[in-house]
Amino acid sequence: MANTKDVIKGEEVTLEIQPGMNILEVNKKLAQKNMELLRKHNVKAIDIMGSIGAGKTCLIEKLVQALKQKYRIAVFKGDLTTTIDAERIRRHGVQVITINTGRECHLDANVVARAVERISLEAIDLLIIENVGNLICPAEFPLGTDKRVVVVSVTEGPYMVVKHPFTFMNADVMVINKKDLAETMKIDTKQLEKQVKEIKPDVKVAVTNALSGEGVEELIKALEL
Amino acid sequence: MTTQIIESVLEEAKKQGAKKVIEVQLVIGKMTFLGTEQVRFSYNILVEDTIMKGSKLIIEEKDGVIECSSCGYRGEIPVVDDPAYHVPIPTLRCPKCAKAAKIVEGKECTIRSIRMVK
Ligand SMILES: Nc1nc2c(ncn2[C@@H]2O[C@H](COP(=O)(O)OP(=O)(O)OP(=O)(O)O)[C@@H](O)[C@H]2O)c(=O)[nH]1
Ligand SMILES: [Mg+2]
Ligand SMILES: [Zn+2]
Repeated sequence: MANTKDVIKGEEVTLEIQPGMNILEVNKKLAQKNMELLRKHNVKAIDIMGSIGAGKTCLIEKLVQALKQKYRIAVFKGDLTTTIDAERIRRHGVQVITINTGRECHLDANVVARAVERISLEAIDLLIIENVGNLICPAEFPLGTDKRVVVVSVTEGPYMVVKHPFTFMNADVMVINKKDLAETMKIDTKQLEKQVKEIKPDVKVAVTNALSGEGVEELIKALEL
Repeated sequence: MTTQIIESVLEEAKKQGAKKVIEVQLVIGKMTFLGTEQVRFSYNILVEDTIMKGSKLIIEEKDGVIECSSCGYRGEIPVVDDPAYHVPIPTLRCPKCAKAAKIVEGKECTIRSIRMVK
């Protein structure tokens, strides 16, 4: 906060802060740095966001299985407290770093930068980041990845897209997961797809079943991997 | 988020050697998930044990502006008012050429000023 102007009235001081102290902007600058560093090492990075239980970890497991021949992969897992998800992914033979977020409900570019310091960028080509389960906050904090993915599942009801327009405005790819349950939940995935494209015309959509692996190929294509 | 705002204010107040903070002015873009009511609510709880306790919070909201790189449109963010959705939904679809536009304003979360007693 360099550009400040003091207006002194007796003992009372008003500190006027010039533009440039945008709190979200600070994160964005750090994200830009992360992206430059990753690009320099030819590492592609993907941020996977979505509500609790949408199927982020299952999808990452499937992505890792499908891509580990082609890329050397590392996974970052943002978690409030546990390492359960990290163990699930580690089983597939890739490096997993858990980022404990404490009480923060999202990852930010700063914690990702510190995690990047813990791995060797020469030894990987693809970095997949599982964000904290939360459909709202992570969207405002880019991490410096090439692609930002939002995973929703049909069990979240027909209004999750229209209720969170800003989340989807920040996404490059939307995954509609648990397609096997769509009929039971009376959800028309085409309708969800139409809604998200209304909000963000250039978003790519993949409809998946993360348990069977159906649609994962489509997702890989959407991620340009 | 509100935690981060308060930390920044406290940090600045400390730098200035303030005894008490009496007023904070924020600018919040309407294109963020931050609702003024939520910010206000958590602000009042979070300042409880700090020198910001009892300070006045003034929030100015900033409208969303989008810009289209395909046709050059720049203006307020359009909304779709499909009755099937029950609520107007903001969209990044350019109102002139229907391609995808980008948000250029309305994503700020800025501390504009802090009034304090030294
Ligand atoms: N039927 C069905 N169940 C699924 C599918 N994908 C995930 N699940 C189940 O949904 C639950 C949550 O999956 P996770 O992959 O742990 O979800 P997550 O998004 O990583 O959850 P958090 O990390 O806790 O936020 C598990 O019980 C999965 O077995 C799917 O496509 N179909
Ligand atoms: Mg998970
Ligand atoms: Zn246009």
